[in-house]
Amino acid sequence: DRDRCRPHRAMHGPSAGPGPRGLRFLGQEEAQAIDQELFTDYKFSVDQLMELAGLSCATAIAKAYPPSSFTTSQPAVLVVCGPGNNGGDGLVCARHLKMFGYEPTVYYPKRPNKPLFEGLTTQCQKMDIPFLPEFPAEAALIDELYGLVVDAIFGFSFKGAVREPFGSILGTLERITVPIASIDIPSGWDVEKGKADGLQPDMLISLTAPKKAAMHFAGRYHFLGGRFVPAALQEKYALNLPPYPETDCVLQLT
Amino acid sequence: VPVSSRQAFPLPSLPRKQPTVLVVCGPAQNGAIGLVCARHLRIFDYEPTIFYPKRSPDPLYRDFTTQCEKMDIPFLSYLPTEVQLINDAYNAVVDAVLGAEAEAGEGREPCAAILATLKHVRIPIVSLDVPSGWDVEAGSSGGISPDVLVSLSAPKQCARRFLGRQHFVAGRFLPYDVQKKFELNPPEYPGTECVVALRAPR
Repeated sequence: DRDRCRPHRAMHGPSAGPGPRGLRFLGQEEAQAIDQELFTDYKFSVDQLMELAGLSCATAIAKAYPPSSFTTSQPAVLVVCGPGNNGGDGLVCARHLKMFGYEPTVYYPKRPNKPLFEGLTTQCQKMDIPFLPEFPAEAALIDELYGLVVDAIFGFSFKGAVREPFGSILGTLERITVPIASIDIPSGWDVEKGKADGLQPDMLISLTAPKKAAMHFAGRYHFLGGRFVPAALQEKYALNLPPYPETDCVLQLT
Repeated sequence: VPVSSRQAFPLPSLPRKQPTVLVVCGPAQNGAIGLVCARHLRIFDYEPTIFYPKRSPDPLYRDFTTQCEKMDIPFLSYLPTEVQLINDAYNAVVDAVLGAEAEAGEGREPCAAILATLKHVRIPIVSLDVPSGWDVEAGSSGGISPDVLVSLSAPKQCARRFLGRQHFVAGRFLPYDVQKKFELNPPEYPGTECVVALRAPR
């Protein structure tokens, strides 16, 4: 069974993690505070950071799961987008995956009534990325049609109960055998404590800095993305981010 | 642009001890792209300095300026007319003064004075989209001679007259139907790169 083969990781303290020495894993409030500072003090727009985040995700996926590695006839990817910013990251990711030669399909059941998300949806549609009218009923169907699923349902603001249709969706995703790449937080997990019986993604792309939930991540690939944090902000929060290679927008942590 | 600047001038190869780059930004969109470039150069561990004499009132571009300021990127209050000062202080100049939309722009201040100075710098110039002051189609006679050209979306006609060392295209993210509609026939981008070199470096 896939899960039993995962390496076990030791934890070294409340905010240090198993990654490169000193790399900090953030609590939910800290993550929200950094985000707020980027928008309020640095005057980044949500559009700017979402575009860079989504591009990081697509780039990390391309490094870990190149199109040639797919056993499906096309490098077909299912991108499941939630109702908030994590879903927006997913839409950007889907668009860049298309540019990189993948065949993404999006499932986006709850769409915010805001120009940002409407624009991102239009961009995907104009690039012939199909939007499914309903979620595949069976895990086996997903396994057959797609070589990878991108989990862009919930991000670092997630709290409390999972509302439908996402409860059923996560239930199905927990039963698929194709790899899952989660954006920022495996959906359904507590942002700090994880979720032992929840989704078990093969890849995690932590944006800005890893959150504490990432300490419970047992998949094969942990990437850091969102290479936009100014040095002063990194210092203020003692992120201790390892250096990104050259001009890459992602850094492979494990 | 910052990615192609990095490819053209990798950090270890720079002649000066500090990886200093001067980014000269014009009043419109080309200048705004220069601001974004400067920010990314900073993230890539270069030391950019910006000269942005005529700031756009556009709120988006004003936010780009704030982002640069908050990242401690210095803004010069004037451009030295003594060209040797520029040659000595910086490894390269990013020319983000005028783009494809400029028509009479190059004749107006402060662009005319800037271009007059840039014509005489001896350090390499990286031009964004169109070497500033060139006619978008016909090119230039006696204008600036950039070392590197980064064409945005697709090369402009004046790029045919570009004689510098490297020509990059940054247009990976153009949707296919736009590429087809305008018969752009873009080159293949390697891997997940967002720029591609059109000519082998000399």
